Parts: sequence; structure tokens; C-alpha cells
Amino acid sequence: MAVLKKFALLAVVVLLAACGVRGKSQESVVRRRLDGEPKTLNPILATTDQEQIVLALIERNLLDYDEKLNLVPGLAEEVSDSPDHLVYTIRLRKDARWEDGSPVTSADVVFTLTTLLDPKAPALTRRALFDGFVKAEAVDARTARVVFKSAAAGRLDAFNLPLLSAAAWAGGDVATHPRNRKPLANGPYRLGSWEAGRTLTLVRNTQYFDEKPAPEQVIFRVVPETAPAFAALQTGDLDEMKLLYAQKKELDAKAGTAGAPRVVTFDELAYSYLGWNNRLPVFADRRVRRALTMLVDRESINRNLYGGLAKLANGPLPPAHWAWDASLAPWPYDPVAAEALLDEAGFRKGPDGMRRKGSLRLAFTLSLGMGSDIQRQIVELAQQSFRKAGVEMAIQPLEWAAFGAKMDAGECEAWAAALNLEPNPDLAVSWHSGQAPPVGFNPAFYSNPEVDALLDRLKTTFDREQTRTLLARVQALIHEDEPVTFLNVPLMKWGISSRLTNVKTSPYGLFLFWPGAAGWRTSATTGPIS
Amino acid sequence: MLRFALRRAASALLTLLGVLALVFGLVTAAPGDAAALAARAGGNRAVAISPEALAAFRHLYGLDRPLTERFLTWVWRAARLDFGRSLLDGQPVALRVARALPATLALNTAALLLATLIGVPLGVMAARRPGGRLDRISGFVCDALFSTPTFVLGLVFLLVFSGWLRVTPLFADTETGLRGFLLPVATLALASLALIARFVRVCVAAALADPAALAGRARGERPSEEIRRALRRSSSAFAAMGAVLVPSVVSGSILVERVFSLPGAGSLLAEAVFARDLPTVLALTWCSAVVVVAASLVADLVAAALDPRTAREDEVTVPGVAA
Repeated sequence: MAVLKKFALLAVVVLLAACGVRGKSQESVVRRRLDGEPKTLNPILATTDQEQIVLALIERNLLDYDEKLNLVPGLAEEVSDSPDHLVYTIRLRKDARWEDGSPVTSADVVFTLTTLLDPKAPALTRRALFDGFVKAEAVDARTARVVFKSAAAGRLDAFNLPLLSAAAWAGGDVATHPRNRKPLANGPYRLGSWEAGRTLTLVRNTQYFDEKPAPEQVIFRVVPETAPAFAALQTGDLDEMKLLYAQKKELDAKAGTAGAPRVVTFDELAYSYLGWNNRLPVFADRRVRRALTMLVDRESINRNLYGGLAKLANGPLPPAHWAWDASLAPWPYDPVAAEALLDEAGFRKGPDGMRRKGSLRLAFTLSLGMGSDIQRQIVELAQQSFRKAGVEMAIQPLEWAAFGAKMDAGECEAWAAALNLEPNPDLAVSWHSGQAPPVGFNPAFYSNPEVDALLDRLKTTFDREQTRTLLARVQALIHEDEPVTFLNVPLMKWGISSRLTNVKTSPYGLFLFWPGAAGWRTSATTGPIS
Repeated sequence: MLRFALRRAASALLTLLGVLALVFGLVTAAPGDAAALAARAGGNRAVAISPEALAAFRHLYGLDRPLTERFLTWVWRAARLDFGRSLLDGQPVALRVARALPATLALNTAALLLATLIGVPLGVMAARRPGGRLDRISGFVCDALFSTPTFVLGLVFLLVFSGWLRVTPLFADTETGLRGFLLPVATLALASLALIARFVRVCVAAALADPAALAGRARGERPSEEIRRALRRSSSAFAAMGAVLVPSVVSGSILVERVFSLPGAGSLLAEAVFARDLPTVLALTWCSAVVVVAASLVADLVAAALDPRTAREDEVTVPGVAA
């Protein structure tokens, strides 16, 4: 009989385990989604969203962005610059430590910058922020000095920089270093385990110098497809995910139901647009570009494709940016006025209903990366509207790498894309004539000498109000020229488990500001952990 | 027979080299290079990357060397199972592939086994009474399964059994054990099952209509013996079909792995192709080509063993030319 009882008990335990019944301790675990596996957890090589999302919990930056996107102390208690803005002095926090208990020192700062600036390190994105770097040197154990050969207004943003531990990463090739998959943490969590392709488990870092996070563990699960992730959000196997509009509607319908995930929305520093290659004769006249914008019914796109949740974009900065100029009215949807503008620009309708200016037909091919249904629908709506006005637009969907290559080479006649901006974006990268392909990221080949001059001035303007004034002028000029059709600023939609609290948002998303996801609490963890 | 086997093996090796050269050529000729994609890895962020930085990246990974030199170096190293390092994360490609292969092999083997276990008896039963109720029903079901994209089938299974009924786990991992593999295996098996069942049905029905089968029946042969003989007569066709089935299952697993969040070789291949990570693409092509070419070789050898005429036909020489 006793044997039978033991057997029955064992069977119950096995059954419970098999059914995935969660113990109480699971309540202090946060389960998050990654739509792809990080390639590296080396903080200076990391570029993808997945990598940065994980690293945001493992590594603090010298300076962090707060939820209003102000730079605030992180590992550094202060980063100050010399009056000529050429020398930056970094004063580290006294209590900043790595997970092995060793202090974060100026040697780590020097090592990180030396490694970052080494051409052998494939740190393409971060290195771009240290243009003009001369040297980094340790003044004392907690103080480092970084010297540049030229002053740059956005320089402080470069110090939103995580560090490498000199002791851990010394020796070997940084691109292939074993530490890239086993980083040394100085943030609220450390990497507990990494099951390739499946999960990354972060556990609380006991050596962390600041307030300890409430959940004991964060488990990132790689779920590439949206539909399984959404099912997991509803079954409680995931606690958060980015939502599609249809998924948001489904969760909205369940609002108020006990245990149902809630929807969190926020404006992001991004916008979608239709790009025009201004070098081509058909797009050279800004009246044509404005007319094309006025032929796209963006209000209707917003209503029908974004459920009324998007805002109309009016220029190169989205509403979430501190210097956005709200006074610029987006070009209206007005097909009649648009056709008049096209006539005025010399493109008149021929007997076939299509527009020509002499022998030049108003016809072009628009390329877009495959994968975004909404983008595809927007482009098809625009195509219909253009055709009615006598403008012929062919659509060419391309695989992403091929699309990117075509953009980089400046070979797109027209294209559909979205642009994500940094907290303090350097607009010169996208709008200065000197940044046309293959050098920079101005595939529209936009060129306006006044805008160029303003963008050059902005590089050395350190006063915020003066910057705002200059940026307002830049926005107004670009709005007038309409080098691309600024479409919409879609609202970000996130599904969050009902058991998560203290979830805050910023224009930089849910994760890449401080404290971001480090400040989340579960229903089982309400108070701070000391 | 030995000459036949050696000739087939040599041809298999040439096919393997040809496939690798083709894939190498296609990936390098495709627009977009690994350096530019690495620079874009942050998505659509507008960050200017200097041409010098991109050139340094290309030099770092040898992407600036002549194509022929790169390919020959790769083949020479691959012959010693050194597949180089991934352009995505700098890890040895062999390690990345070794991590991903077990899940894919387990998934494909289990799916093929399941499909065979169900498909062969189903095909045989349908073949016994062509046009009968079972034949018609199984034909309809098989056609439906065959025309349903694997991706859609997997998604429906996942949403119904894991999301709605909650009888299977959403993710296959160490916690869920074998239960996590139920749906991926079933999805992949169902796609192959349709093919196997219809193929077996056609072969067995033809064999049963053969005069030899009629003679056997006239001799009073038992139905089980009749089926056994029919299967035996169709075995070389089955071997050929097996060789054809392997690549289709391998390619089908790419989608199944994605739907079920399984970190297998299929997901790895898709990621590597999109990132133009040539060393990883070539290593995975090498693996799948070896499997497919080996399967074809085995099918040819099995067919030759079962029907020696196959090998002899292969050795027919042109009249007047010395062998």
C-alpha cells in the first residue's frame, strides 16, 4: 500500500510538472519575447533591437536616457566637457561594480573606447558616434578623459555608452571573444544561462550598485512569429510583446476581463514615408513632390489601416521629439489642387490620361522591402490615387537585403520605408547634400544650400534653445521642399501581462531608457529589494 | 555492381561540388553585402557609416578577396570540416551548425518515420480497392493536406492545440520535453504523408493490376502475400521517391521551425541567407546537400540491388566504342 501511495504521489508530481503548473516562485519571473536571437552580448558590438533589449538589463551606460530622453547619470556620476568642447571628463560612480565584485574603473572606459575605435572591431554603429576621436586616458581610478579633434553638439549622446570590463575582455579578438556570449554584468541583472536559439535567462545581479530590481529572473524567449507569441501572451507564457493593430483590437475587446493582458500605447521617434529620388527629372520640381503628397489620403490610411491611431507626419521630426514643430500643417489631401500643381509644373495629361512634360513621362518605379503588409497596402492606395491623376507608378517588392543595397547605392527611383530616430538625431545624416549615397543616408539626394548651412551650424550649436530655433527652420524648409512624402507616425502598441506593474514608456520605446524594464514589478514583487 | 557504385559516388561528389559552387555564386551575386547589412542591423536607424569602416569590416572577414580564392579556400577548409566563422556573430560556423542540427535531424527523422508509418498502410489500403470509399476519402484528405502550406497547417495546429485547447505546449524546450515536439512533427509529417500515401497507392495499384499479380491471385495466393509481392515490385520506385522526399522535408522544416520557435538548421539557414552570412549558408548547404546526395546514392544502389537491370542499363556502352 505504501509503495502504491509513493507511486501515486510521484505520478502527481510528474503530471503537474508535465502540465507546466507554475510554483509560487514563478511569480517573480518575467517572461519576455525576442523576435530573434541576439548575435552577441558584447555591448559595443550589439546593434540589433534584440541585443539592445537584453543588454539594457545587464549593462548600465555611462549616461542613460530617462523617460523624457534627458541624459542622466548611469555608471558615470558626471560627464563634463571643456569650454572648447574638445575634452570630456568622465567621473565614474564610486560604487559601480562588475558582477564579480571588481570595481568599474577608468581603465574599463579607456579599454572600451580603444577597442571600439580599433578598425578590427566590427563596431560599425557605435564607432560612427565617436567621429573625431583622438585619445582616451585614465586620470585616476575613477576619472577618464576623452579628447576629440573637433567639437560636436551631439557628442554627449555618444556617452550613452556601455562598457567592457578590461579584465574580462583583454586578449583575443573582440569580434570572436568568448565573452561575447558570456558578458560580465554591471547592471541590475546578469546572464544566468543562454540556451541557443531558445531562451536567455537573466538573474538578479547581487553586486549591482543601485536599487535591485523586483523580479528575480527575466526569461527571454526567442519567438520569431507574431501569432504564436500572441497566443503565448494570452496563455501567460509571455508577459509582453509588440502588437499588430488586429491584435490590439482583440485585446481591447477583452479589456476588463480578469487576467487579460492590457494594451500600452505610446508615440515613438519614427515615421513612415514615400521617398522620391530628387535627382531624377520627374522629382526635381518640388511642386511635383508636393502634388504627390497631396494625392495620398493619409487620413484615410490612418483610419483604415492604423485604426485611427497614427498621427500625420509633417516633416523630418516626429511629434515625440522635443524640437518638433507643431505649427507646420501637414500637406492636405487635395487631388484637385495636386493636379493643378502638376499642370503648373508642366506635367500635363495626354490623350491616354497620363502626364507628360515634353517627352518626359511622369512615371517611375517604387521599391519596397517585402514583409510589411501595411506598407504594401499604403503603396497600393497611393498607386490608385496617382493613376487617377495621370501618374504612373510601378511597385517593385524586394527582399530586404536587396532593397537595402539599392537604397545604399542611391538607385531607387522611389521607395517606401520607415525611419527610426535616435533621441537627439543628427538630421544632417538624412538631409545634408553631402550625405547622399554612397557616403551617407540621404537616398533622396535632397539638396538645399540653406538647409545644408543650418545643419552645419547645428553641429556646433550647444545651446538648446538656439538648437530648437535652428531645427524649426530646418523643419520648415524641408516641409516646403517636401523631398519625400512624410506619411504617418504610427502609435506603438504593446501587450502587457496584467500581472506586470510599473510599466513606463518613452519615445525611445519600453526598454532603452532608464529604468525601462528594470523598473517593472510583478504582482508578487511590490516593494523595492534592498 | 561495384563499378556502378563507384560511378554513382563520383557523380554524387561532383553534384555536391556543383551545388556548393552554385550557392556560393548565387549568394555572392545577390544584391546586398554582409558589411552593409551589419551596419543596418539596428533596423531603419539613420546612422551614417563611413565607407572606411565598411571597408575595414570587409577586410576583417576576407570579403575583399577574389571570389575564386574565397571559394577554393572554403572548399579546402570544408574538406577538413573547418567551415570558418559566421559573419553575424564571429562564432565558428561548425559550432552554430552543430547546435542547430540535432533539433532539425530529430524533427525530420521523426516526421519521415511517422509519415511512412501512416502513409504506407494508407496507400496500400486505398490501392486494394481503387475507386472505393477509402480510396476516395484518403484521396480527398491527401489532396487537401498536400495543397495546404506547411506554414498555415502548423499555425492552425499551434493556435488550436496550444493556444485554445492548451493540450500541447506552445514552445518545445527542455521543460516541455518530447510533448513540445508533437505538433512540429505532426505538421511536417502530414505534408509528407500525403505524398507517400498517394505514391504508394499508385505503385501498389499498378503492381496489383500486373499480369503477374493476376496469375498469383489465380493460384490462390493470400491477399497479404499479394500485397507483399506488390510492395516488393514497387520497392525501387519507393527508393527513388525517398530520395525526392528528403529535400522537400528539409525545406519544409524551415517553415515549421519558424512557426514553432524551434532553433534548428532551417531557422539558421533563413537567418544566414537574409544576412548574406556566406560561411553559414555554405556550411548548411554542405550538410543538406550531403544528406540529399547520399539519399539519392542510396536510392540508386538500393534500386540496383533490387533490380540488377538498373545497374546494367547504366553501363550500356555506345556500340563500336570500347568500354
